[in-house]
Amino acid sequence: MQRLPSARYLLLVLFLATPGLCGAREYLQVFVVTPYLELHTGPGRGYPVFNVVERDGSVDVLVRYTEWFKVRTERGVVGWVAEGDMLHTVLADGSPFTFNRGDRAGFTSHRFEMGMFAGSYGGATLISSYGSFSFNSQLAAEVSVGQFLGNVSNGVVADFGLTHVFLPDWRWSPFVMLGTGVVHTEPKATLVQPVNRTEQTAYVGGGMRYYLTRRFFLRAEYKTHVVFTKLNSNEVVDEWKLGFAFFF
Amino acid sequence: METGIRVLLLSAALALGGCASIHHLFHRHDDADAQASNDADAADSDAHPPRVIDPDVERRKIKVPQIHSQNVEFGIQYGALSVENFGTNPVYGFTAAYHITEDFFFQGAFGRSQAGRTSFETLSNINLLTPSERYFTYYDLSLGYNFLPGEIFLGRKTAMTSAFYVLAGIGSTDFAGDSKFTVNFGGGYRVLPTDWMAVHVGVEDHVFQSDLLGVDKLTNNLEVVIGASVFF
Repeated sequence: MQRLPSARYLLLVLFLATPGLCGAREYLQVFVVTPYLELHTGPGRGYPVFNVVERDGSVDVLVRYTEWFKVRTERGVVGWVAEGDMLHTVLADGSPFTFNRGDRAGFTSHRFEMGMFAGSYGGATLISSYGSFSFNSQLAAEVSVGQFLGNVSNGVVADFGLTHVFLPDWRWSPFVMLGTGVVHTEPKATLVQPVNRTEQTAYVGGGMRYYLTRRFFLRAEYKTHVVFTKLNSNEVVDEWKLGFAFFF
Repeated sequence: METGIRVLLLSAALALGGCASIHHLFHRHDDADAQASNDADAADSDAHPPRVIDPDVERRKIKVPQIHSQNVEFGIQYGALSVENFGTNPVYGFTAAYHITEDFFFQGAFGRSQAGRTSFETLSNINLLTPSERYFTYYDLSLGYNFLPGEIFLGRKTAMTSAFYVLAGIGSTDFAGDSKFTVNFGGGYRVLPTDWMAVHVGVEDHVFQSDLLGVDKLTNNLEVVIGASVFF
């Protein structure tokens, strides 16, 4: 019996703290201008419609998951609305509710990109991924990291540079790249004891991207790296890779 | 008692009277101001017509709340990994995924296990690998596809969304003192008890070329895991 009040206080503290931790936020309110807005039970095209909001009704947008918005109606009913249906709602001032969609316009102009590649780095098999931040539809800063696995050596490579896209509004859009990076090489054991090395590189390259559908595009690229070795002459390494990427 | 009530009423009456007189004082002051401004307006109206609406209203800035996106998923997993020829052992790992559309997701995974002994090692009592070389460490980058989305029902009131998924990707496996290019593919089942948390069961094969036992061949390393993940 002595323990009960402390448990109650604990519950009270939790109850009071909960909105501060995860709930106390303002949600965007949008208004329905079509005859009705359909609410699905889950975030997917197959989930059934279980409720509707009539014209002039409003919903609070709680969260977004891919192409679905989780909303709460004025009556407190929570459901999922498809992206396409949300396009037909308006904000409180009557302006249309707009948001970032995965389409051709998004392919032309977006903020972030991520992708993965398979290819070759100086003859070794390369696995690589990259991320980019676009300043505008043509210029982006990119970071890529990769691992190459070869017969004579393994290693990792990291690059940082700028990419300039020509004709970003075309489905096929070429680009050029320029940047710097590091390569860490671990030669495989042979007769002499090999030494691991980390060297700076500079690269120039180019490639092509091809818009597939939704948020996806293919990307093929070629880079030529100059590795600034501690030897008498620098080393040149060719890298080519093919992969898919998406923007968001 | 009665005296107390009387005192209370009296002080209330005095307070109200005081407020009224103070208000009157200010009001008179306002009247004087209004009179002065009326005179000024009359003088102005000869020069300019009176302004009915003041057009210099500053536009109100409306702050539109941001919509939180929950497309990133972080998870942990634990299970069993069968390293070809080296027995089945526990494996643990981490995953990070980005859900691109309702159908596709991009996932990076990292896992580690420790291989056992081959039957040759057991019979001959010769160790092929050092203890550190027995660590089987992998990472992979995969593209996943959700299919057969649905709901599971617990009783009358609880419904959880669920989906099967398949995935395939490439990565690297560090085993027996060497890193090998690895292709992974598999599938699983995901149930979401809440919108921000998921429970997974998955099976995956990690395939790479190995000449460890004298013959260069493709090795299949099957993994069965159970995992939990959180959406951000």
